[in-house]
Amino acid sequence: MTAPGEEQAVSSGFVRSYVITGGRGLPDAQDLSLVTLVTIAPDRQPPPNPSPEVRAIWELCSGGYLSVAEVAGHLGQPVGVARLLLNDLAEQGHLMRRKAPPAAQLVDRKILEEVLHGLHVRFG
Amino acid sequence: MALEVSLMTFAQGPLLWALVVVALIAVGAVLRARKTNIGLRRQNAELHQQRDMLQRQRDELHVAHTGLTHQHSAELAEVRRDAEEETKAVLKAAVRTLQGLADEQQVVIENAQKKYGDDPGMLADLMAIDHANSQFGRRAQGIAVLCGGWLGRRETVASVFDVARSAQGRIRQFDRVRVNGQVNFSVVSKAVEPVAVVLAELLANATNYSAPGAPVEINIQAVPTGVCLIVDDAGLGMGQEEKDRAAALLAPQAAISVSSLGIPPQFGFAVSGVLAARYGFKVSVDSVSPYGGVRAVVLLPDELLTGDVPSPPPVAAGHYDAEVAALPRRQAPAPSPTPLFPPVGQPAVAPQPTGPIATTAGGLPKRRRKSPVSVVPSAEPGPVRSNEETASRLGAFQRGTRSGRDMTTTEGPEFQ
Repeated sequence: MTAPGEEQAVSSGFVRSYVITGGRGLPDAQDLSLVTLVTIAPDRQPPPNPSPEVRAIWELCSGGYLSVAEVAGHLGQPVGVARLLLNDLAEQGHLMRRKAPPAAQLVDRKILEEVLHGLHVRFG
Repeated sequence: MALEVSLMTFAQGPLLWALVVVALIAVGAVLRARKTNIGLRRQNAELHQQRDMLQRQRDELHVAHTGLTHQHSAELAEVRRDAEEETKAVLKAAVRTLQGLADEQQVVIENAQKKYGDDPGMLADLMAIDHANSQFGRRAQGIAVLCGGWLGRRETVASVFDVARSAQGRIRQFDRVRVNGQVNFSVVSKAVEPVAVVLAELLANATNYSAPGAPVEINIQAVPTGVCLIVDDAGLGMGQEEKDRAAALLAPQAAISVSSLGIPPQFGFAVSGVLAARYGFKVSVDSVSPYGGVRAVVLLPDELLTGDVPSPPPVAAGHYDAEVAALPRRQAPAPSPTPLFPPVGQPAVAPQPTGPIATTAGGLPKRRRKSPVSVVPSAEPGPVRSNEETASRLGAFQRGTRSGRDMTTTEGPEFQ
């Protein structure tokens, strides 16, 4: 019999991600992109018997907009898992989404410099 | 006169002599017979003596034989025990390596899931690998337990609900399992893995011995002496013989022989029995589920439970997707808005407020609705200003960014 002291520590995660998703298909990445901002709609009650992850999302997102990537980071779960749970909340009408501001295209450096200069003049 | 004459005649006659001769012969025969008889008796007595002696010898030999047989069987048992122990030691050492590798692989898969989690196809594949690896790990743990080895130690407590879900993840048909009921108890760290493994074995039995597709339920219930994890399946149930075998394995009287588990080996109850005895909880499978199948009950006593809340999952620590890591993390209660122009050479990060960090019930940092600006990129040391001037300028900037992030605004492509 091995002495208890010999016991090796287990470092892997405890609850597997496919259990959290219930083995369901994962939603498309287009729907809730990494930078989509989400928040819990005001005056909403959490669903009955939420899983610990849904509860954590509820607590995280009740305060204001948070990006999907951040939600996943705080949950310690892959983005796809967070996306599925957020999708569920969205389908139940609990979630407000806001698309990330579109990335500036063909930014005119000159304009930016002018703006910067203007700011310097005004505040600097 | 006539008689006398006849007697005389008779005495002198041949008949008389014949009679005399016969009588003599008879006497001789009798004497010889007597002698023979005496001889035979003596011989008989000797034979009796010999027989008794031989019987004594036989008894002695019998005793010796019994002794030898006992010794032999004892030695045989000892040899068997030795062989079993040696086999177990070899298996244990071999499986220990496998356990370590399975755990290592699990961590690699987890990191990959976080890294490529944005791609649903990739994540689904990684989940499938993860699932196979979890089952592999459970098998290795089962063999280790039967060989007297250990499962591996968890460092933190886990909620009973999470223990049930962890067990769920270790069986093939995990999607048939439903976990119902949550209690405000956690399992102490040393018992986290054992309880999860036992529950997984019970779930594996429940899913294997019931119709494919039929749901299997785990119900978590607080009872006066602890917490019960009840596994109900909708299978055919067990016969008395199977129940007896299960009961014997679940309350093991002696070390379980690896060779007695059959081919393919039936680990479940043997592993459960060993772990239950080692960690002091109870497993029974002798009742009938409401669906007519088996009801398996794991009773965790108060000693293995704690009211502590599991610590939140370790965020980051190198497990981060590069993309996610590049985004500002919000560990502190005052999260900083995403800087549009991240300061390159000179990170001018404002000191984070040092007040008490508000956390949620789950131990996560609570996000505040209105966040102060914490990143003020300044290209060069600006001219000396008064504090009030600085404050008003910062305030103006803060108001601007705040209104930009305000969730109540109706501008922008917002939808619900």
